[in-house]
Amino acid sequence: MKFEVDARVQRRSGFSLEAAFTCETGALGIVGPSGSGKSTLLDVLAGVESGGRVALDGRDVSRVRLHRRRVGYVTQDPLLFPHLSVRRNLEYGAGAEGVVDVAGALGIAHLLDRMPRHLSGGERRRAALARAVAVKPEILLLDEPFAGLDERRRREAMSLLDQTRRRFALPMVLVSHLAEEVIALTEWSVRLEAGSVAASGPSASVLRAGETQIDNYFTGCVLGPGLVRVGHVELHAMVPAEASGDVRLACYAHDVLLATGEPQGISARNCIWTMASAVEPAGEAVLVTLATPPVKALVTREAAERLDLSAGKRLVAILKATSIAYLGAA
Amino acid sequence: MTSILLSLSVGSAATLLSLPPGIAVAWILERTRLPGRSLLHTLVLLPLVLPPVVTGYLLLKFFSPKGAVGQQLASLGMPVAFHWLGAVVAAAVVGFPLLVMSVTLAMKGVDPRLETVSKSLGRSGWSTFWRVTLPLCWPGVLAGAVLSFARGLGEFGATIILAHRIPGETETIPLEIYAALDAPGGEEQIGGLVGASIAICIACVFAARALDSWHRRRLELTR
Repeated sequence: MKFEVDARVQRRSGFSLEAAFTCETGALGIVGPSGSGKSTLLDVLAGVESGGRVALDGRDVSRVRLHRRRVGYVTQDPLLFPHLSVRRNLEYGAGAEGVVDVAGALGIAHLLDRMPRHLSGGERRRAALARAVAVKPEILLLDEPFAGLDERRRREAMSLLDQTRRRFALPMVLVSHLAEEVIALTEWSVRLEAGSVAASGPSASVLRAGETQIDNYFTGCVLGPGLVRVGHVELHAMVPAEASGDVRLACYAHDVLLATGEPQGISARNCIWTMASAVEPAGEAVLVTLATPPVKALVTREAAERLDLSAGKRLVAILKATSIAYLGAA
Repeated sequence: MTSILLSLSVGSAATLLSLPPGIAVAWILERTRLPGRSLLHTLVLLPLVLPPVVTGYLLLKFFSPKGAVGQQLASLGMPVAFHWLGAVVAAAVVGFPLLVMSVTLAMKGVDPRLETVSKSLGRSGWSTFWRVTLPLCWPGVLAGAVLSFARGLGEFGATIILAHRIPGETETIPLEIYAALDAPGGEEQIGGLVGASIAICIACVFAARALDSWHRRRLELTR
């Protein structure tokens, strides 16, 4: 699903959300510290709150009323209708169908005749998700769906959500403050800070890099299957067999490891002697610019101190072949 | 005996008449940001504190057979002043604040996010009201109805001004008690009427409290 979002919400409390981003993904994560506007952005996407412009797959839905949006909106508290049985909760939505099937997929088929007050927290969450899925929404919007579950149940719920989403082919937006959930369940993420977009990109990169998201882009010349020459060094990379000539490559700064000596018995295919040309702080981390290959490495402050990093220091850059991605011909 | 039955029928009709606007006003006060809400709130509460005689006088001015509204209603076969309907209107107006207060409180207890979820599931605002809001505050609505019924039952001042004391038509229990005070041998009659009033009102208060606690139990259990 293609998201074109320019959300603008101004609250009387002084909080304002001004989040604009565009991306195309089946699973979008919204991350950020509490109070950064994650839930507000989700509400704008859902149509619960109006403000700014939201286009999904090119269709502007900003002016579409909530009950015509066809969104599966699941709040942080699993809000089941307390006066209706689980079955009638699931059948509640306009055009809800296949309730038994959906309940089965989420493992609550045996609870259909119970009242919500007789369900556990985890069961309520599953019922709320099932109710949203049963209306065959165009998109699932989930606000911290695993909050308050213990570790084991959280993992179960995560895999259940992933299976359900794939089985019913539903695009999803997931709000979470836990990096692990977002990396596991989404492809693309938007990180909010104080009401605006601080980063937008592949989930792993947006989250692992913390304060700074740095991608390395460089070009190389294909020497053979999975082998490229970048400058004067040869690198093993994920280059497809049919690629040839000059190609564009990328890797995340947090995927570049540094060592003061050549490591022994390591699976990474690329261990290259190089030199740090610059060492600078980047948020909570330290960014090290290397001479060859021309990439940046992101390491923690402790690691930088332990390795005694400074400009001009000779280092070994370690890069897994799998973390160098092929972007296409140059 | 006639006056007891008449009181019950006037009270019931007044309650039925005020339920739809009572629920609508409570919804406007509790769930909308309509400008002028506080003015509406004040107007709704006014009959609670205004001397009933004043309320009756204002109603009589409004429904006067010489006035536009009164003539219009009379031509439709529904004269309000000096008519059974007048007793009903007087009872409805004085009971209205109690109904609205009770329904507003009950609506306050319904999590508005449930309504949001309902709309996200494709149900319109109207459908959400009937399927979620009203069923969840139903006991509060009933409790309010019972209270306003009991209040209407005892209405004297507004009734006697708007509807007069017409035996068999507008002479409810309080009006008959008032008349019996002057009549020779009325003491005996009064005893029965007072007993009936007390019994009906105690039953109403019990019913209202039972409904209210049912409502609380239902909401607390779900939290």
